[in-house]
Amino acid sequence: MAYYSTSQFKNGLKLMLDGNPCSIISNEIRKPGKGQASNKVKLKDLITGKTLEKTFKSGESVEGADVMELNMQYLYNDGSEWNFMDPGTFDQFVINDSNMDDVRGYLVEQDMCVVTLWNDNPISVTPPNHVILEVVDTDPGLKGDSAGTGGKPATMNTGVVVQVPLFIGIGEKVKVDTRTNEYAGRS
Amino acid sequence: MTILSHSSLRKKADVLKKIRQFFDDQSVLEVQTASLLNTPVTDVYIDSISVQINLDIQLKTQYLHTSPELEMKKLIAQGSGDIYQICQVYRDNEQGSQNFNEFTMLEYYRLDFDSHQLMDDIVSLIKMLGIKGEVHKLSYAQAFEQFAQIDILNTSFDELKIIAKSHQLSADFDWIEDLQIFLFTALCEPKLEQLPICFIYDYPAEQSALAKVEDRVAHRFELYLFGVEVANGYDELLEAQSYERIFMRENDRRQRLNKSFAPIDMDFLKQLEDSLPQCSGVAIGIDRLIPQIAK
Repeated sequence: MAYYSTSQFKNGLKLMLDGNPCSIISNEIRKPGKGQASNKVKLKDLITGKTLEKTFKSGESVEGADVMELNMQYLYNDGSEWNFMDPGTFDQFVINDSNMDDVRGYLVEQDMCVVTLWNDNPISVTPPNHVILEVVDTDPGLKGDSAGTGGKPATMNTGVVVQVPLFIGIGEKVKVDTRTNEYAGRS
Repeated sequence: MTILSHSSLRKKADVLKKIRQFFDDQSVLEVQTASLLNTPVTDVYIDSISVQINLDIQLKTQYLHTSPELEMKKLIAQGSGDIYQICQVYRDNEQGSQNFNEFTMLEYYRLDFDSHQLMDDIVSLIKMLGIKGEVHKLSYAQAFEQFAQIDILNTSFDELKIIAKSHQLSADFDWIEDLQIFLFTALCEPKLEQLPICFIYDYPAEQSALAKVEDRVAHRFELYLFGVEVANGYDELLEAQSYERIFMRENDRRQRLNKSFAPIDMDFLKQLEDSLPQCSGVAIGIDRLIPQIAK
C-alpha cells in the first residue's frame, strides 16, 4: 500500500487512521516562530462518518487507504440489501442496509450514485445532489398560496420527510436537495 | 494585481500610527536597521532568503533579514537605550494560512525589563490597539499540566515518546524540544483557541532560543490571541559567549538535518564585547495582530 507524506496531503486524499479509511477535509500547516512545522488535518472517518482532527509532524508518512469512488446505478433493494451496478463493467455490488442510514431516503431506482469502495467492499453511497421524489403524504394545500410563504412536512415515496411549500399536494413530484434535505422546486 | 480594500489599508496605517505614538509616549526610539545582511539566520527551523548582488562589480551573496534582532542588539550594545522597529521581514520555506514569505514585524527592546514587565507592557500596547478580553498567563509547565496532564519539565524524551504514541501521534523526533513543541501544538494549542489573550512563559531550557535560563526554565514567552501565535519574547541573553554557544548548537542541528551551515555573525559577537545591558525584547507579527482588533 502507498504511503503519503504530509507534503502530498490534499483535500480528498484517503488515509488509514486507527484502522479506518478517512478522507482529508482540510490541511493546515502550523509553523511555530521557533520550531518545526506540523500539519493540522481534519478528516472524515468514512466508516463512522465522524470528523476527526489530527496533528502530524511535517514530513511524516501515513498509509493510504485503498478507497475508490465509482459511479454506479442504483438498481433495487430487497429490504436488507441494496443493489448497485457499475454501468461500465455490469459488475453488481451489494450494500448492507445498515450502511445506508443517511441516504436511504434519496435513492431512486435507475439513478446514478457514487459508491465508495474500501478494499473492494462498498462502504458508503452518495446520492446525486438533486433527486426527484414523489409526495405520498401531506396535509391538503391552501388555495391561492402560490408564493410558498409557509411550509409543511411532506412524506416522500422513499420515506424521507421534506418541508415543502403549502401548494404541493399528494402525488406531485418534487426536486429535493439531498445534501440539505430541502425542497428545490417542482419537477 | 490584487485590489486591496481601502479600509484594510487604513486599518493597518492606523495601527502603525498608534504603535508609533505608544512608543513615542514612552521615549522608545524608532530605528531602522539593515535588511540585507552578510550572514543568514542560524536558527535551525528558520530559513533565510539569499540574494546574489553586485553582479557587475563583484558578485556576492547577501541574506534578507528574517528578523531585525541581531542588528538591533548591536545598537543596544552601542548604548542606544530603548528601541523599536517596524519592518518587513523575509523567510524562506513558509506556507499556510498564517505563514508567509514576507510579513510585517514589530520588534522592540526595553532596558532593565524582565520578561514579566515586558508582558505587562505588551498588554498595554494591544489593549491600546483595541484588542479586548481577559488576559491569561500560564507557564509552559502549567499549560501542559492543565491541558494535557503532562509534567513537561520532569518527563524524559523516552517517556514523552511513549505519551505521543498513546495519543496516536508521531514520536519520530531527533530532539526532545521538537517533540515538546509538537505535543504543545497537538494537545495544548487547541485549548488556547478559547482564550482571547494568553501568554505562555518560562519554556523548558531546551527551547531557550536566545533567552536567559534560570532554574531549568528559559525566560521566554509567547503571546497567543485566540490560539494564534502573535509574539515571541525573551529576557535576553547578555553575554557574547552565550550567543556563540547557541549559534554553534543550532549549526550542529542544521548539520544533522542536512541543512546548510549558517556562518556566524562575528561582527555581532564583537559588538557585544562582554555583554549587553539587562533588557527584554519581543517580536510581534503585525499582520496576525490586526485581524484580532475589535473582534
